Amino acid sequence: MTDIATSQPIDAATAPGSGRRLRTATQIYMYVALILVAVIVVVPLISTALGGFKTLSDLRGNPFGMPTEWQWSNYGDIIVSQRYWLQMGNSLVIAVLTVFLTLAFGAMAAFCFAHIRFFGSDYLLNYFLIGLMFPAATAILPLYIRIRDLGLVDTYWGVVLPQVAFGTGMSIMLFRNYFRNLPSELFDAAFVDGCGYMRFFWHVTLPLSRPIIATVGIISFVGSWNSYILPLIMLNSESRYPWPLGIMIYRGEFNTEWQLVLAFITLTILPTIIVFFLAQKHIIAGLTAGAVKS
Amino acid sequence: MASVELHEVRKAFGALEVIHGVSLSIEDGEFVALVGPSGCGKSTLLRMIAGLEDISGGEIIIDDAVVNDLTPRERNIAMVFQSYALYPHMTVAENMGFNLRLSGASKTEIAERVNEAARMLDLVPLMERKPAQLSGGQRQRVAMGRAIVRNPAVFLFDEPLSNLDAKLRVQMRSEIKTLHQKVKTTSIYVTHDQIEAMTLADRIVVLNQGRVEQQGTPMELYKNPANLFVAAFIGSPAMNLLDGTIDAEGGETAVRLTDGTAIRIAQDRKVKRGQSIKIGLRPEHLSPGKTGTALTGQTLLVEPTGAQTHVIFDLAGQPVTAIVDGEYPQRYGSPFHASIAAEQVHVFDRETGVAL
Repeated sequence: MTDIATSQPIDAATAPGSGRRLRTATQIYMYVALILVAVIVVVPLISTALGGFKTLSDLRGNPFGMPTEWQWSNYGDIIVSQRYWLQMGNSLVIAVLTVFLTLAFGAMAAFCFAHIRFFGSDYLLNYFLIGLMFPAATAILPLYIRIRDLGLVDTYWGVVLPQVAFGTGMSIMLFRNYFRNLPSELFDAAFVDGCGYMRFFWHVTLPLSRPIIATVGIISFVGSWNSYILPLIMLNSESRYPWPLGIMIYRGEFNTEWQLVLAFITLTILPTIIVFFLAQKHIIAGLTAGAVKS
Repeated sequence: MASVELHEVRKAFGALEVIHGVSLSIEDGEFVALVGPSGCGKSTLLRMIAGLEDISGGEIIIDDAVVNDLTPRERNIAMVFQSYALYPHMTVAENMGFNLRLSGASKTEIAERVNEAARMLDLVPLMERKPAQLSGGQRQRVAMGRAIVRNPAVFLFDEPLSNLDAKLRVQMRSEIKTLHQKVKTTSIYVTHDQIEAMTLADRIVVLNQGRVEQQGTPMELYKNPANLFVAAFIGSPAMNLLDGTIDAEGGETAVRLTDGTAIRIAQDRKVKRGQSIKIGLRPEHLSPGKTGTALTGQTLLVEPTGAQTHVIFDLAGQPVTAIVDGEYPQRYGSPFHASIAAEQVHVFDRETGVAL
């Protein structure tokens, strides 16, 4: 009788245990790649936070290391200043209005594009989506002229409306993709139950769209929170400045207090990081909606 | 409750017509099943009756009123979907009461009617659960409850049991039948499963490529199929269909199969000698043994199902299924002898497929 084990060469890839070794090697590469990406993302954040605890000379001599002497007052002085809280309030008002209007316009328009066929709907959708490819900075001058003509310069609306306009294309795209993946039988059932489009939107679509609402909401919130150029152009009064413009007060004509800039940045990005961690499950669910058949 | 009438109803998607002038008349309280293979247009026809699909021609009349341009709600119909189509964010009670809420019913009335339907369908302990926390059978019962609550003129069922496993399907089938006997609401039931149609319906409408092939009671369709399509579709296992030629055997009209086997047929069949035909033999009409017309062939397959055994044997070069008693000792490869009464042999024109 021929011994199979000796008569046939064993392929290394199919040998017992080779699959496990392959998986382990893949995992090692994966972890190395993830650690690299994490380092690239986290090091600047930690350096910024630590930089806020240094003196200016310490920061210049030791930009990435631990502070030689912890300057808690850098953060303390910012937190106790009235201006800091006023600017936070401004940022909040602008962000909340931006988020609300982006969600409202985006969801309603996307619902129409997802469910109603009408003459020119594809062209109109493409018109909105072209906005995604349009960098806001290039339109800043005509935008300023239009906002000035509307009498909205130095008002919250002067910042909010352009932000909503630039955010609507993305929100329509994300909402439409999500709505189209809701089962069509739900629409049939709701129609039989007596819903029209409005009631279906309000009673069925929106309650089922919490992940995508969270996604679009957070993306527009973060966009508004970090917006610098638009408020800089549209707002003149310091009392209406949002947080990102607050950095400017630490920039003198001849000198910039970088340690205070870093402390300020750390304090302003904290809320967005917290919001992201609280809602990351929804964000990922919303961005990947429709990627696989459920 | 209401009657439903369809007059020359047509549906076209662009230049492609998929429903070719279907006319039907469904009595008040009747349970009618629309059956046919996938793509025959049965679901489209149901959706047209529901108002979920526009019609391209003809008239749909519910309760003596033309409803072509009315919304589903205005037609006063309720529909149970294959995928249940329950609202995932609502509880069972909210799902069932949603249509009443939309119609502006008071909270007390909603609660009363929902509870009544829940008692009828044994859903009371599940009222606060969300659909994701229910089994397939429970979800289907909720879908039926949602339909009952509104007390509609017509129930429409679109393959409601297709997503359930075999055991649950049988159980739910009984529940649907019991429910219909209780509420007596006119019901139109779409299915591709002819067993479901046979067991549930007062009348079956067989559709093929957007046309009605035949309609009648389940036993009418089973005993007297109008054509080859209906003959092959109704009955399980399916009718055996064999090519043959009309001949004479012992002074009586018979069919000569391709291998020379002669099978006597009823003498009142409108056939002429030499005519090319197909015969249909129901598996349950083939009795084992050598009495009557003797049909013999080698056993190709034996499928025991418990009470019965399916014996597939070779006859005139084609596999033929016979149903015998579960205890019948038949073995693979051994000869199988069967016979059939002349009255039970169905004869069809080979060209047109029409029953002769």
